[in-house]
Amino acid sequence: MSAARILTPADADPVEEHVAALAAAVHGPARVKARMIEEIRDGLVETAAAHEEEGMPPSAAARRAVREFGTVEELVPGWQRELTVAQARHTARAAAMAFPFLLVCGLLVHAVGEGWGLRLLTVLLAAVAGVAGVLAAATPAVTGILARRVALPPGLPLAVAWTGTATAVATALATLGLVVASALAREWPVTALAGVLAAVAHALVAGPARACRRYARLTAA
Amino acid sequence: MRPMRTDAVRGHLDGLLLAVLEPGPLHGYAIIAAVQRRSGGVLELKTGTIYPALQRLERLGLLDSGWESTGERRRRRYELTEAGRGALTAERSAWSEFTAAIGSVLNPAVNPVAPRPAG
Repeated sequence: MSAARILTPADADPVEEHVAALAAAVHGPARVKARMIEEIRDGLVETAAAHEEEGMPPSAAARRAVREFGTVEELVPGWQRELTVAQARHTARAAAMAFPFLLVCGLLVHAVGEGWGLRLLTVLLAAVAGVAGVLAAATPAVTGILARRVALPPGLPLAVAWTGTATAVATALATLGLVVASALAREWPVTALAGVLAAVAHALVAGPARACRRYARLTAA
Repeated sequence: MRPMRTDAVRGHLDGLLLAVLEPGPLHGYAIIAAVQRRSGGVLELKTGTIYPALQRLERLGLLDSGWESTGERRRRRYELTEAGRGALTAERSAWSEFTAAIGSVLNPAVNPVAPRPAG
C-alpha cells in the first residue's frame, strides 16, 4: 500500500515556494530586499512562461524555471553580500543625517562649556561628529565609484557596522552626560537642547549600525 | 559544443552583462536570454546569479535602472551608463589581450604574440 502523498506548497506553485525560501534566507534593508524579491519573482515567472511557450505543461515549466534559477544554497551568498553592502551604505546615510545634529550639539556644549565635564563632552562630540562625517563620506565612495578599480575589502561592512556602533555608544554617553549636566548647570535649557540633539543622533545611527553588524556576520559566515 | 556552466563564466559575468546591454535597455529575463542567445546556448548561467550582479553594477555606477510597467506587472529595466560603456571597452580590451596571450601559448604557430619591451 502506498502512503498518501501530502500536498506541499511546491505542488501548488514551485515559483512562489522558491521565492519564499530565498526571501527567508536573505536579510537586508527592507526596500532593497523587496526590490530583489520582486525581481526574483519576475525572473522566475518569465522563465516559466518562456518554457510554456516552448510547449511545456505549466507545472513542469515552473519546476524547470526554479531548477535553472539556482538553489537557495547557490544563490544566498551572492544575494546576501549585496544586501550587506546595501546596509553598510544605509548606515553611512544614517551617519550623514546624524552629522548636523552632532555638529549643533557640539557647538551648544562648547558655548556653555563651563567645567571639565562639559569640556570633555565637547571633545567627545567633536570626535563623534568627525567619525560620523568620515563614515558618511567614505562608505558611498568605497562601495561605489572606487570599487570599479579596487575590489571591495570583505571586512568593510563590519568596519562600517562597528564605526556606526561606536558613534551610537558615544552619542548615548553624550546624551546621558548632558542629562546630568542639565540637572546641575545654570544654562540647563541649552544643555537640555544639546541632550535632545545627541539623543536624535543616537536614534538615527543605532538601528542601522546594529542591523549592519548582524548582516556583516551573515556574510562572513 | 558542451554547455559552460556558471562556475566557468564567473569572472566574466560583468563583461557579459555590460555587452548584452550595449544595444539598449533590457530587463532581467531578457538579459539572461540575450547572453544565452549570443553564446549559441553554450553559456548556461544560473539565472538567479545575475540579479545581484546587476545590482552591484548599478552600485558601481555602470548601470542605471528603473521600473517599467507592462500591464499589471512591473519589471526592472537596466541600461548602460557612460561609465558602463567605458568599462565595457576596457573589458573587451583586457579580454583580447588575455585570449591572445593564452592562444600564443596553446598554439604558438597560429597566434604569435610580440614580446613586451622590458622595463
